[in-house]
Amino acid sequence: MAYDYQAVHALDGTIGAVPGQRANHLAVHRATAIAVVLAAPGHGAEAAGILVADGAFEARFCGPGEWLVLSEVHAPETLVAELSVRLGAFAFVVDQSHGRVALTLSGPDAARILANGIAVDLHPGAFAVGRAATMLCNHLSVNLARTGVDRFDLVVMRSFAEAFVADLKVMARSHDLSVDFATR
Amino acid sequence: MTAYRLASGGLIDRSNTIGFTFDGASLSGHAGDTLASALLANDRLLVGRSFKYHRPRGIVTAGPAEPNALVTIGTGARRDPNTKATVAELYDGLAATSQNRWPSLAFDIGAVNDRLSRFLSAGFYYKTFMWPAAFWEKVYEPLIRRAAGLGRTDLPRDPDGYEKSWAHCDLLVVGSGPAGLAAALVAARSGLRVILAEQDFVLGGALLSETTRLDGEAPFVFARHALDELHGHPGVTLLPRTTVFGWYDDNVFGAVERVQKHSATIDAARPVERLWRIVAKHAILATGAEERPLVFGGNDRPGIMMASAASTYANRFGIAAGRSVAIFTNGSSGYRTAEDLSAQGVEIAALIDSRTDASDRAPDGVRVVRGGGIIDTKGRRRVRAVIADRGGFEELIACDAVAMSGGWSPVIHLACQRGGKPVWSQALQAFLAPEAGDGLVMAGAAAGHYRLSECLDDGARKASAIVEALGRPVAGFERPVVGEEVDPSFTALWHVPGARSKAFVDFQNDVHGKDLGLALREGFGHVEHAKRYTTSGMATDQGKLGNINAIGILATMRGVSPAEVGTTTFRPFYTPVSFGALAGSSRDEHAMPVRRSPLHGWAARHGAVFIDAGLWYRSSWFPKAGEKTWRESVDREVRTVREHAGLCDVSTLGKIEVFGPDAAEFLNRLYCNPVLKLPVGKARYGLMLREDGMVYDDGTVSRLAEEHFLVTTTTAMAAGVLSHMEFAAQVLWPELRVRFLSVSDQWAQMSIAGPKARTILQAVVEDDLSNAAFPFLAAREVRLKGNLKARLFRISFSGELAYELAVPAGYGEAVADALMRAGEPQGLCAYGVEALNVLRIEKGHVTHAELDGRVTPDDAGLGRMMGTGKPDFIGKRLSTRFGLTAADRAQLVGLKALEADKDMRAGAHLLKDGAKPSTINDQGWVSSVCFSPTLGTHIALAFLKSGRERYGEKIVVWDKLRGVETFAEVCDPVFVDPENRKLMA
Amino acid sequence: MASLISCPHCGVRPKEEFSIRGDATPVRPAPMASDEAWNDYVHVRANPRGRIREHWQHVAGCRRWLVVERDNFTHDVFSVTDAAAGRGGAQ
Repeated sequence: MAYDYQAVHALDGTIGAVPGQRANHLAVHRATAIAVVLAAPGHGAEAAGILVADGAFEARFCGPGEWLVLSEVHAPETLVAELSVRLGAFAFVVDQSHGRVALTLSGPDAARILANGIAVDLHPGAFAVGRAATMLCNHLSVNLARTGVDRFDLVVMRSFAEAFVADLKVMARSHDLSVDFATR
Repeated sequence: MTAYRLASGGLIDRSNTIGFTFDGASLSGHAGDTLASALLANDRLLVGRSFKYHRPRGIVTAGPAEPNALVTIGTGARRDPNTKATVAELYDGLAATSQNRWPSLAFDIGAVNDRLSRFLSAGFYYKTFMWPAAFWEKVYEPLIRRAAGLGRTDLPRDPDGYEKSWAHCDLLVVGSGPAGLAAALVAARSGLRVILAEQDFVLGGALLSETTRLDGEAPFVFARHALDELHGHPGVTLLPRTTVFGWYDDNVFGAVERVQKHSATIDAARPVERLWRIVAKHAILATGAEERPLVFGGNDRPGIMMASAASTYANRFGIAAGRSVAIFTNGSSGYRTAEDLSAQGVEIAALIDSRTDASDRAPDGVRVVRGGGIIDTKGRRRVRAVIADRGGFEELIACDAVAMSGGWSPVIHLACQRGGKPVWSQALQAFLAPEAGDGLVMAGAAAGHYRLSECLDDGARKASAIVEALGRPVAGFERPVVGEEVDPSFTALWHVPGARSKAFVDFQNDVHGKDLGLALREGFGHVEHAKRYTTSGMATDQGKLGNINAIGILATMRGVSPAEVGTTTFRPFYTPVSFGALAGSSRDEHAMPVRRSPLHGWAARHGAVFIDAGLWYRSSWFPKAGEKTWRESVDREVRTVREHAGLCDVSTLGKIEVFGPDAAEFLNRLYCNPVLKLPVGKARYGLMLREDGMVYDDGTVSRLAEEHFLVTTTTAMAAGVLSHMEFAAQVLWPELRVRFLSVSDQWAQMSIAGPKARTILQAVVEDDLSNAAFPFLAAREVRLKGNLKARLFRISFSGELAYELAVPAGYGEAVADALMRAGEPQGLCAYGVEALNVLRIEKGHVTHAELDGRVTPDDAGLGRMMGTGKPDFIGKRLSTRFGLTAADRAQLVGLKALEADKDMRAGAHLLKDGAKPSTINDQGWVSSVCFSPTLGTHIALAFLKSGRERYGEKIVVWDKLRGVETFAEVCDPVFVDPENRKLMA
Repeated sequence: MASLISCPHCGVRPKEEFSIRGDATPVRPAPMASDEAWNDYVHVRANPRGRIREHWQHVAGCRRWLVVERDNFTHDVFSVTDAAAGRGGAQ
């Protein structure tokens, strides 16, 4: 008997793709490696320093001493291994590549669409490019990062991904939005 | 014919004719009309019947304070009852129907109430329908509700979508009249983020109906230029058709935008209404002022309206309210209306001024009756004449409309919604907004500055101060040159003496002057009591027109100042808001997000029947062809697990990874059982208590490394346990060096249980799973064939030889498929939570059906787990208190049904055999019941007083709710394999 | 409709992101403290009107437990701090 396991994405078969590349687009990332870094007690500053200094990782603030690290180039195991080596005793690293789903919302109406579920002021002057935080979007908690003036990354719990995308489509109902898996 | 469209004038588009219906009659209006103005243009004065007396009523205002002209707009599932015709934008195909009349508006049976009215005084219903009490709900209330009512809503599902949005700004301006526009211009030019909200569908407020010229032009021209400029500022959001209805904590405003309420065809891609939550650093209320009605006999006859409304209908909508209009005023505003109407060629029947010493000049040819008042009106469904009284001299004045002006009240509702009480101004004879702090200021007429020049200046001044407070340079504002303007001074007149017929204070709730007198006589003179006694101000308009007169009348009767009477409490909403808008998109699956297990697809492919478990959908059972009932499927699944093996999705359990040098110490304080000495690679059952000594949750603790643990929680308590742990780590013991993270979503977890479980797993797992190499409670990482890392735990809920295998969520389905294939020769089946429940009841394992918050570890038969030697753990101290250790506490027992044909149900009570069924004789309760395929009978888990001493006793299971009494035998709660031979195999 | 809480870690957030546990003043007694001390800690709350200190958790954000000092009558919020701040525990 051959054992060759194919991973299933949380949104496989449930994404309800809206085809094309419309003015606004929601891309679902199929293979982003995601890890959570928990600073060892008393070592938040050191862990933050290493994460920021490097530049090889996209570290998103979740809370004090806690970051989501996303990578499009690493496999989940190598991301955890690499982070563990670099952070050493300053942090605990937990693989969450299967526990979270990463999405990118881009387009001129991106901030307006998000305002239909998110209370945080997303004016570029108030939530600048490079900022990230965990916040409520309708009923669900989401880590939101601004990666461009009209571009946001969203990271949600896997079990809620389907509900979240369905919500986002409703939030974007008055705006032109296409939805699909990212191609890369 | 009385009311009619003037030949020219107004801001309507006469080239664009719009068809609509009212009570089935086809009528037409123009773009820019409200339903009310279009009805007036068609001489439809009678628009509704009053609430209590069913009196004919007409349009009173031209705005959101309208008490009378409530209509139902739309049909079928899109019926909107109680819509104010005065703010409803006319659209092609609008279908409006009148309300509270039967069989028709013109002939209404309920109007008999008017003739019975001397029996229907305030409090009549309370006094009359008191007895017998049981009749109130079943007989009186439905009857009264049918007779006295507003529009009907409909039950069909609302087909339209709604949206809720957040918005943020430096300055929110409420109202787009002169003060609001000036404020918005200053703020926008100074670079602020500005939101300008206006309830009307056209921005401009009073400038749309005002005739005083600005820079030599009609004031709406100034408004258009201002709006053009505001459109060009990138930081400005203009929100027409948006009512700001509430002011909430931290300067958050609620507003509702009617996105598609002005169209017969709805674009499904857009919401019909949008609820805004506006977070404003500052807000300016430029909400204007409301003109007061005069309380005189017969003041509710159709054709009688506010003087300002008559002006608005003439100037903005090009409509004459009548051919011969009588004006009744207590101040200058009545003269302005006389001018406005005269200028349009409308005849003024008379201008009756209650003041004797007024110096205002009426237009040429208008007869002024100074020191006079109206004491009654004539006419059936519309006014035909008024009886004016001056010093005892009565005069019948023929007219077909009356414009009344009782002075002005600043619109201050929003500013009073957070507890501040309005302040009486003796000079203005009006209540002003209380000091509301930095976040909210009043401007223009809303602040008591009534002149047009003052409004413009005040708006600009208030905005400048806000710009400065925000540390920005203030941009200039050059006020346009204001033409000849009116100072609307007036002499308060709360009640016109000598009324010959009912003088209404609250039109919508049919409260008249005498009702207030009765309230005072019966001891309800306090403004809040009078309101409830008479229902004045309790209708859908919340007394926007009438409250001030009610206060004035109470003050007069009590011989005090209105300041002493005070106002009733202002609360949101300013005007009614639909439930649809409040719910937004939160309906159906968007009301409660669905949570999917990573094995959902696998379960669906195997035909699972799903059940809601909190937000989760869990596979309940897996019916096979030929199985007709759920019991057949569940019985088969249970037997298969006991005889062969089964696979169950347990991914929904909470999973938390715990790290740090103090992780063991932390968990040792969190669980009531000892954790410190748990070896690496082993799991242990864990019980968490609340601080009061009751069981909070149970689960497993696995030590993956010296300073690395994985704990599991029940599905139901996963979120609660995580918060509980965070509280313990952050608040109780912040000195402990521990970090943790919920990893619930990372892992697909499946239970493989049954005598064949090892054989099946070994086909998939590389590592040696022999009993020696992987004994009971082993917990460690393993490698699956095909090179996939997984976590394996030898733990059992069913009592069988069992494992829980966790793999990264995305691989869950593939691994489950591999196990099903490997297990096929062994008879492996998929089983759901129903079978899981039967298996655990047979084994006497508890869940939250047992651990209901009233149960100690000892009650649940788990007393031996308590680490009483530990210095401290949550719940330790209060576990020892008297009462929690009493010998007669209800203890977990098993029950075997003795009567096969009678059901035991969870929730039933236990009685001694022969005891009278009564809660006094209560001996305990049944917590879980199932049919045990293994034992071939119904069994239960129950809590019974001193239960562990009573095995073998015959007991009564008493289910009063379902009317069942049956016998059961008390036994050990472990029905299956009490020696744990299967578990350890 | 709304109330805004300024989380020291995340910034201004609506109250829906938080869960409120209650009075933040009781301090967990020593394990062997008196019955009265434990009874007070677990069961007895004063429920005063006016200025109070409460434990709020930012569940939809950073998940930190916060001490919110506010007036339960006027709804004024005076301060929001991390419950572990100054106790050696802020990460």
